[in-house]
Amino acid sequence: MPGKKLETLAGVIDAKMNRQLKLYLDICARCAICRDACHQYVTTQDVRYLPAYRAELIRRIYKKYFTKTGQFVPSLYEGRDPDENLLEELYDVMYACTGCRRCMYYCPYSIDTTWIQSVGKAMLLAAGKGSEMLTQLADAAIDKGKNIDLYKDIMRDVLKTAEKEMQDKVGDKEAHFPYDKEGANVLYAALAGTHSILPAAIIFHMAKEDWTLSMFEAANYGYFLGDAAKAKEIAGRIIDEAKKLKVKEVVVSECGHAHRVFKFFYEMWAKEKLPFKVSSILDKVSEYITDGRISVDPGKIDIPVTYHDPCQVGRNYGLFEEPRAVVKEICSDFREMTPNRAKNWCCGGGGGLVAEPALEEFRKTTGKLKVDQIRDTGAKMVVSPCENCRLQLDTLNEHYKMDIEITSMIDLVVRALKT
Amino acid sequence: MDLFSFTIAGLMVYAALAVFFIGMTYRICHWFSTPKASIRLGMFPKPKTRSGRWLKMLKDTILFPQALDVDPTMWFMAIAFHVAGLLIFFGHLRLIKEFTPIVSALGSKGMDTLAFVTGGTFGIVITVVVIYYLFRRFASPYKDISVPEDYLLLILILLVITMGNHLRFFGDVHVADYRAYVQSVLLFRPSFDAALAHSSIRWSLVAHVFLANILLMYFPFSKLTHTVGAFLANLVRSD
Repeated sequence: MPGKKLETLAGVIDAKMNRQLKLYLDICARCAICRDACHQYVTTQDVRYLPAYRAELIRRIYKKYFTKTGQFVPSLYEGRDPDENLLEELYDVMYACTGCRRCMYYCPYSIDTTWIQSVGKAMLLAAGKGSEMLTQLADAAIDKGKNIDLYKDIMRDVLKTAEKEMQDKVGDKEAHFPYDKEGANVLYAALAGTHSILPAAIIFHMAKEDWTLSMFEAANYGYFLGDAAKAKEIAGRIIDEAKKLKVKEVVVSECGHAHRVFKFFYEMWAKEKLPFKVSSILDKVSEYITDGRISVDPGKIDIPVTYHDPCQVGRNYGLFEEPRAVVKEICSDFREMTPNRAKNWCCGGGGGLVAEPALEEFRKTTGKLKVDQIRDTGAKMVVSPCENCRLQLDTLNEHYKMDIEITSMIDLVVRALKT
Repeated sequence: MDLFSFTIAGLMVYAALAVFFIGMTYRICHWFSTPKASIRLGMFPKPKTRSGRWLKMLKDTILFPQALDVDPTMWFMAIAFHVAGLLIFFGHLRLIKEFTPIVSALGSKGMDTLAFVTGGTFGIVITVVVIYYLFRRFASPYKDISVPEDYLLLILILLVITMGNHLRFFGDVHVADYRAYVQSVLLFRPSFDAALAHSSIRWSLVAHVFLANILLMYFPFSKLTHTVGAFLANLVRSD
C-alpha cells in the first residue's frame, strides 16, 4: 500500500479525535482485566477478541503516527501502519464486537472499547472495506427514505390484517392504526414486521394514547456499519417525520441500539437539540401501568420466566428495575439470571451481528454463556426487550435445543392485558 | 562529590524533574485542549447528582471494585502495588524533612525502627508484585497484548526498587546523611556529606537515582499517565 494512502487511513484517527478517545488511547495499561468481561474472548480464548487487544490495533497506529515517542521509537509500542494485514484483522475484530460495553464496566479506567471500535470501523470504511451486508441494508433504508410515497400504500395494505387482529383483541371495529397524524402526542417508531407494531398498537389503544405510526423502521444499519453520515440519514427520516407531524414524543420500539441512536447519538451527529422527547416503549409501558392507564392480570403466566437485560437497555440506558417490575407482575414464577443487570452477559447477537450470515457459527459459539445462564435458571420463557437479543436467542434456542419460549415485553403485556 | 555522581545525582535530577513536570503538564493540557465528544458516554447505573458522580469516580479509580469480581488476584496485586508505592513515596518525604511529630512520639530510635520495618516491608511487597506483573506478561494471553513499553517500564521499576532495597537492607549510611544530600539538591548545591562520600553504598545510591531519573523522564510519555488519566476517564463513566 503506498505511503500516502497509509497516512490518509491513519488520519481517520485524527479526524475522529476527541478527549475521551485520546484518554483511552493514552492510558490503557494492558492489564487485561477485561479478558473475562468479554463473552467472545471467554468462549473462544482467541486473543483477537480480548477487548484490550481490539483497542490495541488502533492504539498501535495512533502511537506510530500521532505520538512523539511513537514516531521516534515505534517499536517501543509495536507501532503499526494501517496496511492490508492490519485492515483484515480490524475487519474481523471490529465487526465481530457486539458493542455491549461489558468490558467498560470492568475496566479500572472505564475504557469504552466501542468508542475505539468506531474509529476502526471508520478506518475500514475509508479504505473501502466496510461490511457489505450492513452497507446494503443501510443503503436500502436510505433509499426508502427518499421514496417514501411509493411505500406508504403498500405498508397500509400489509398492515390491514394486523389492524383487524387489533380490532378483535380490543373489541372495537372502529380502532385503526393512525398514520401521518399531525399533532399527535406520540410517534411510534416500530421495526419491520407486525410483531413490533400490533402489540404496541393494542397497548396504545387501551391506554387511550394519542399516537401515530411512523412510516419507517427504527433499526439503524448505518450505526452498525460505523458510518455516522448514513446512520444520521437513516435516523433523520424519523426525526424529520416527527418534526413535520409536530409530535411531542418519539417512542422507539423494543430495539436497543435504535433507541440509543435517537436518545444519545443523533444529537451529536446532527449538532442540534431535538424539539421532542425520545423514549423507549418500555418507558411508556411502565408509565401506563403505574398511572393505571392499562392494567394486567397479576400472575397470568405461571411457568418459570427469566428476564434478559439487553446491553443497550440496561448497562447503556439504565432500565433495570422498570421492565423487571412489569415481568414480575405478570409472571408468578420469576427467576433472576446470574449475573444480571449491569453485569449481565451479552446475548452475543448485538452490534448488527444477527444481520451477518457469515457470523452465524460465531454467534452460536459465543452465545454459550447466555445458554448456560438461562439453563441455570430453569426458566421456560425468556423475556427480552430487544430485537437483536431475541433473534440471537432464537438461534441459540434452536442450536442448543433449549426448548424455551422467547418473547418481547409488549407481547407479554398484551397476553396479560385486561381489555 | 565526584564528577560522575554530580552529573547523575545532581544535574540529571534537575533534568528529570523538569522533563517530568513539563511533560505531565503538557500531557494534561493536551487532554483538556482536545474537545470532548458531545455525547454522554456514561454507563448505568450512574449517580444522578454531580457530587455523586465525583464520588463514584473516586471510588472507581481508587478501589476499582468491579475488577475484584473478574480478576481477584490482579486486583489484589494492583492494590498492593499502588498502596506500597504511595507509602514508599511518602517515606521518601522524610528525606526532605524529618517527620518530627513521629520522632517526638517514638524517639529517634523508634523512628528508625519504624522506617526500617515499614520501608523494608513495602519494599519487599512491591518487589514481589512487580515480579508477578512481569511474569504475568510472559504468559498468554497477556504476552499477546504486551508491547516492549510494558516490559521496559516493569524492568525499570524493578531496578529502581532493587537498588532502593539494597540501600535499605545493606546500606551503612544513616538517614541524616541521605537527607543532607536531598536537601543539597533542593538548594541547587548537590553534594554528598563525608559519611556518604566515603561509603561504598554511594554507588548504589547513584544507580538508584539514575534509574529513578530515567523513569521520571519517560513517565509523561508512557501509559503511566494513567495516574492522572484514570480519574478523567472514570469521570466519563458516570457522565
